[in-house]
Amino acid sequence: MIEEKKGLEEHSLEKISLSLSELKLRSKKWEELSQKVKLSKTSWLLAGVLGPLDNTYFLPIRPQTCTVIASDGSQIFPNRHEALPCYLINIGSAVLHYGEEGKAKLNSYPKFFYKDEDRLVIWDGRRIPADSSVISERRALMEFQELLRLADENKNLGNTVAICDGTLIFWRLEGTPSDFKNEIIQPFISVMDRLKDLRIPIAGYISFPGSTDVINTLRVGLCPEEVSYCNRCPYTDLPELPCSPIEGVTDRMLFSRVLSKPGERSSVFQSSSKILDLYGDHKIYFFYLNIGEEIARVEIPKWVANDKELLDLTHTVIFDQARKGSGYPVALSEAHEQAVVKSRDRDFFFDLIREGLVRSDFRVTVSRKGLSKRIPRI
Amino acid sequence: MSRVGEIVESSTKGFVARSPRIGQSPSFGCFVRTDSKPVVYGLVYEIITESRDPGRKPDPYGKSMEELKREQPEIFELLKTEFRSLTIAYSEKENIRFSLPPIPPHIHYFVYECTREEVELLSSEDFFLRTIISSPNVPVDDLIISSLRHAQDARQFDKDYLVRMGKSLARFFKDDYERLSSVLRRLV
Repeated sequence: MIEEKKGLEEHSLEKISLSLSELKLRSKKWEELSQKVKLSKTSWLLAGVLGPLDNTYFLPIRPQTCTVIASDGSQIFPNRHEALPCYLINIGSAVLHYGEEGKAKLNSYPKFFYKDEDRLVIWDGRRIPADSSVISERRALMEFQELLRLADENKNLGNTVAICDGTLIFWRLEGTPSDFKNEIIQPFISVMDRLKDLRIPIAGYISFPGSTDVINTLRVGLCPEEVSYCNRCPYTDLPELPCSPIEGVTDRMLFSRVLSKPGERSSVFQSSSKILDLYGDHKIYFFYLNIGEEIARVEIPKWVANDKELLDLTHTVIFDQARKGSGYPVALSEAHEQAVVKSRDRDFFFDLIREGLVRSDFRVTVSRKGLSKRIPRI
Repeated sequence: MSRVGEIVESSTKGFVARSPRIGQSPSFGCFVRTDSKPVVYGLVYEIITESRDPGRKPDPYGKSMEELKREQPEIFELLKTEFRSLTIAYSEKENIRFSLPPIPPHIHYFVYECTREEVELLSSEDFFLRTIISSPNVPVDDLIISSLRHAQDARQFDKDYLVRMGKSLARFFKDDYERLSSVLRRLV
């Protein structure tokens, strides 16, 4: 098994080297590749090319005084074995001011959902119970709304950056009906509009990313066709497709070779997720950042990508955050600490509900499964 | 009167209070009082600064305090300073009684440093020394020394006071001459 793994490792190193040389080659004629990417129809996400792909940017100097706001959430999902079909979303937040007046505010806001309008969701015109994926999307929206609330509170400070854990792209909404999509996207756009007005850049931080957008773009480059159209690939009879030699490499592996020094970032690329058609002016761009311990992916809206001042601020503040947090932004880990709901808290939450119901003379019914978990027999 | 803490744990024999700021607390051996009814008087015998969350431990950063405040401000939100106090007396209808209170102060009552007059009153007799000596889990000898220093500071010109208290200590320590002499030598 280990021998096999060794073999795979060597093979993958070869692939990474190949993708690196491909990156350098395509960078010279990036306009050509950019055009081909625009015209291509692939089954994968492609990174929109806006300049030479192999450019690297040094770490800008962090302003002495700056503020980082971050939010993260967790939840207690409804449990149908419990007495009441309710749920809880807990949003944790951190505001960290750096500089002479260094101070920190850490908070959490739990919100309890039990009313019909909270429990049900309009899904393709029908009202159905909100399941865990609906609640997760609602939670993600609440995290952004919390960032905006903090941004409004700290709008006069200057050099403020808002960061959230994970992607800014609601890609899970792609397969959902438009009424639910709108429930999430419209308020999200309002958050982005306001942050743009305040000139507070927002960034989604993805640790150890598995994305392959740039690699996919290079695969389009490898495609001998003038315009790649995967559904009509004429090379399927060959033992290996012309674009396959770099298959399996991730952007992170590639950029770990490109970004040699901690603090360096890659060029900015454009995401091609379908859901971004609904983002209006806030299309999502991304870059890779060497934070020393790993290569992270940082997602930003278009207006941050196009504003050098905001882009530099985001670049330097995120790197500084990751340094302070031993490889993961400290504001995000503190927001997470505030948000996290432990299994003990979950039990306590349902205990409270049952107690409240009993005290008000309601008949409390829990399922036999729920009961058996509570009173295990020997 | 300055507020120095809020009670977060309470028992008949003493209480624990949280300081409003990290690293600040009434000093060791200081006389404190609560604003509860009855008012409870105590002596600070332990000051602890630690993580608020038992699952998280402070880590050394190798930075000066100024640098930390500037660049790691969140850590000060995650720490707490608390002090433990040994109950030595309580007040009942304007009188001070040198025994344990019938009911300990509730959690969330505030704690204040005693005024000079209060310290003078609380330390006028040797009851507080006897309480210290008979209390397990307190650093007895050092608490005697520090509380006597606070008592002496409150009275300023009373030279006979220490002599009187020294005689009491000689009685309490009986034939443990070594211990008595160590306390007295460190006291003056």
